[in-house]
Amino acid sequence: MSAPSSALRTGRDPYHLGHGPSTGAPEYTGHGGGGPAPKRIVVGYGFWIFILSDVVLFSCFFAAYTVLIHARNGGPGPAIFDLRNTAQETACLLLSSFSCGLASLAVGRRSLLWTEVALAVTGAFGLTFIMLEAHEFAGLVTRGYGPTHSAFLTAFFSLVGCHGAHVTAGLLWLGTMMAQFAAKGFKENIRHRYLCFSLFWHALDIIWIGIFTVVYLIGRITP
Amino acid sequence: MTLLGKLTWQAFPLEEPLPLFSGLAVFLVLIAILVWVWRKGHVPYLWREWITSVDHKRIGIMYFMLGSVMLLRGFIDAIMMRTQQAIAFRAPGFLPPSHFDQVFSAHGTIMIFFVAMPFMIGLMNLIVPLQLGVRDVAFPTLNSVSFWLTAAGALLVNLSLLIGQFDRTGWLPYPPLSELRYSPGVGVDYYCWAIQISGIGTLMTGVNFVTTILKLRAPGMHYTRMPMFCWTALAANLLIVAAFPVLTATLGMLLLDRYVGFHFFTDTAGGNSMLFMNLIWAWGHPEVYILALPAFGIFSEVVSTFSSKPLFGYRSMIYATMAICIISFMVWLHHFFTMGAGATVNSIFGIASMIIAIPTGVKIFNWLFTMYGGTVRLRTPMLWAIGFMVSFTIGGMTGVLMAVPPADFQLHNSLFLVAHFHNVIISAVVFGAFAGYTYWFPKAFGFVLDERLGKWAFWLWNIGLWVAWGPGYIVGLEGMTRRLQSYDVAEWRPWLLVMAGGVVIILLGILAQIAQIVVSVRTRDRRRDLTGDPWDGRNLEWATSSPPPAFNFAALPNVADQEPYWDMKTRAREIGQLVRPEPRYEAILMPRNSPTGFVTAFFAVVTGFALIWHIWWLVILGLVGSYATFVVFAWRDHDEELIPAEEVARLDRANRAARTTRLQERMAERESQQESHE
Amino acid sequence: MSTNREEFNLGSHIGEEQVAGGPPHEHPSLGTELRGYIIGLVLAAVLTAASFWALDEHVIYGPGIVMALIVLGLAQVGVHLVFFLHLTTSPDNTNNALALAFGVLIVSLIFFGSIWVMYHMNANMVPVKALMQQRGG
Repeated sequence: MSAPSSALRTGRDPYHLGHGPSTGAPEYTGHGGGGPAPKRIVVGYGFWIFILSDVVLFSCFFAAYTVLIHARNGGPGPAIFDLRNTAQETACLLLSSFSCGLASLAVGRRSLLWTEVALAVTGAFGLTFIMLEAHEFAGLVTRGYGPTHSAFLTAFFSLVGCHGAHVTAGLLWLGTMMAQFAAKGFKENIRHRYLCFSLFWHALDIIWIGIFTVVYLIGRITP
Repeated sequence: MTLLGKLTWQAFPLEEPLPLFSGLAVFLVLIAILVWVWRKGHVPYLWREWITSVDHKRIGIMYFMLGSVMLLRGFIDAIMMRTQQAIAFRAPGFLPPSHFDQVFSAHGTIMIFFVAMPFMIGLMNLIVPLQLGVRDVAFPTLNSVSFWLTAAGALLVNLSLLIGQFDRTGWLPYPPLSELRYSPGVGVDYYCWAIQISGIGTLMTGVNFVTTILKLRAPGMHYTRMPMFCWTALAANLLIVAAFPVLTATLGMLLLDRYVGFHFFTDTAGGNSMLFMNLIWAWGHPEVYILALPAFGIFSEVVSTFSSKPLFGYRSMIYATMAICIISFMVWLHHFFTMGAGATVNSIFGIASMIIAIPTGVKIFNWLFTMYGGTVRLRTPMLWAIGFMVSFTIGGMTGVLMAVPPADFQLHNSLFLVAHFHNVIISAVVFGAFAGYTYWFPKAFGFVLDERLGKWAFWLWNIGLWVAWGPGYIVGLEGMTRRLQSYDVAEWRPWLLVMAGGVVIILLGILAQIAQIVVSVRTRDRRRDLTGDPWDGRNLEWATSSPPPAFNFAALPNVADQEPYWDMKTRAREIGQLVRPEPRYEAILMPRNSPTGFVTAFFAVVTGFALIWHIWWLVILGLVGSYATFVVFAWRDHDEELIPAEEVARLDRANRAARTTRLQERMAERESQQESHE
Repeated sequence: MSTNREEFNLGSHIGEEQVAGGPPHEHPSLGTELRGYIIGLVLAAVLTAASFWALDEHVIYGPGIVMALIVLGLAQVGVHLVFFLHLTTSPDNTNNALALAFGVLIVSLIFFGSIWVMYHMNANMVPVKALMQQRGG
């Protein structure tokens, strides 16, 4: 076994029962030295891991889209997408991500009014995004290019629809969050929850970068 | 469009006596147990102490019990299959094809998702926080949700016994067979929704444990001081987080195909069934290591403890674990070499598959060198570990054989393959679970299991494994393919009879284990573990009482070494002072019990069942119920409760008193022994 | 808990947005934090505009467009991670960055691996459609 540590030599805490750190200066949390991390870090990290798993889920749909992009069953390819609509959706999501960030600043400064305002703006942009997407989907379906038409359209509707479902779930969460801030104020666990929400919302915007790049833009120049 | 969707009287197997009676028997037993529990007035106790418990130890025990019950179910399927193949030589046997197909599909599904996974996750729940020296996992309520969702999936699978039928496409529903066109029944839907629900539970477990291991450890426990089981649990949970979303996505695509006429994997409109193989195995191969890695961790703990030596090559073990964690994501194509990706792709995946054997080999050598020069005590857990090393090495090498693509073209889907994966999964995962079970049982319940019956169980299982699956390699090489309901090749017959005999031997092993439990519980007063350390253990789980108090440790231990508890004991001997001074007792904040997990699982079962039978109003009801549960849970204010310092002190002092008495007795015994030697 | 625990709890008061806590430091001023978000917004907007603009075949050499779009997309992901999610390379962020690296590795393995495997499979095997036509006559 290793040589007796300083604790034994100094006679301090020979049994390592938790009377104090046995090795000199405290090391920083999360790297092994300092013991259990504070709750906020644990919650944030756990949600970060969850988001990564969600990104893996999307990667499967991205893979399916890319593999099936030529499987058109005699139907159209990505040329049917209206890029102006895509640009509007992109702008909506980016602005909502920005205002979500502003809401974080308001939460950090415990300003209920600005928090609710910023969250409402976030939600409004999110809702606009969903409506633009629904409009796009409805347009495609009425033109006869619904998801059952070809494997390519199946993959397109699933990938973009999966993102849309996430945004919808996010909106539901956002509403609950606003109600909680109003009813309970800036309690610690509510702030932790908000941390998770903002991570989720920003992550959805990151997924969207992948979607407009791979599905719409690269899709457009794919023969 | 009816009120009950596709559900009619035809869904009940009134014409088929075998599934009807077995299904009815299972449910009658279940109902009888529930009635008995109710009549005896155990319901409030169960509700308070178990069903709503968020204590990681309780949840771990419940996982293990779920796994054990499902093991019996899956094993009955195994007996049926071996019997069928033993008698169906130029004969129809006793299982018609439609039933035989359900049996092998259910066997695989249950054994992987509802036996192996609950065993491993259960042991991780029970032990990881104790070994890390902390009070609970990162998200205790989520942990309860995870367990109940897994149980919900298991319930749905078993519901298919009585209502409708199970999947007939194998444990992985390969399209286009599993598409609506060729499998119009509810079997594939039962499979998909059960796995989706339990898969979400597993994913949450993954998130929970990655966070726990990376962010919650006793002060001073650096990465290079973590017990090996925690390292392998970390690797396995990273794999869960990375792989289970792939399963969810792939089954989601299949469900979209089946429910709304999409064309991911259909053979029409450009769908590509090969995409399913590709995606499902991108989950499936890591899944193998999700099961095997924690088992490797258990063996590391057991071998080190019962060799009375620190684990040999601790750092190389960490590197090997993490190497397996990464490489396991680069070999998935070896499950479908024969599907025609061509020589380039096949050879690259073949080489990667051979490379992954290297870190596994490193581990085997590390265990051997841990035993070398140690004082090896051949207790039951150690026997399981040695049995594992022998059987797993052989089974692993047959795997390396199949990593060679040309060889795989001969062996693909033959019984050689089936023998290979039974050989490795039983020897690693099942033996690992049993090693962990015997090793940590005293920690969970406070008394040691019977050694003699444990050894019987070990020998019966070990011999049974080889009698049941050794001949599988031979008939596989003789060309027998898997999943045959009947056959007419005379050369196979004797081997299949031997295999059926092997299953009987394993059955005796299981009976020995049941007897072991019964005997041990009856004689528990003689088997009490008062020191909390029955095996002379080395890691922190042995530093607390058996069973541990709800808060695990009265004061979080400080870790200064790779084997913290061994270190403590060594120091105590050095100063010649066995009784440790009391720490300063302080009130401890613990999470409160919560019915969230149970309620969520209830709605999950309702939603799943409604989706399977296309009862749309019930689907909406189930989803609304889930959201309501979420909001109610999010709204509660008091999710933690304080255990007062006096209570902590009382429990810890009682434990100390018991421990001290036992230690003094031991010292006295040792002294008298030494005197008699002199 | 004992006093040494509290030393490690200081992290709970700093920036709400950060994935992980940094070492205890002063709360940054509103201006500093706001500036971060605005820089992020402007950079993201510019990169998005560049992506849409790059699609025009006259701007970039044709075959290079796909590569340009991928680079622009990745750059924007980076902008989001740094300015909105506050992922940094500081030592207290190691765990987050490592988790991200693991995620990126898995995502690339699944995405590019699937494309590679399926491309070879499609190239080597008779397409399902042709097979159906053969059968259907």
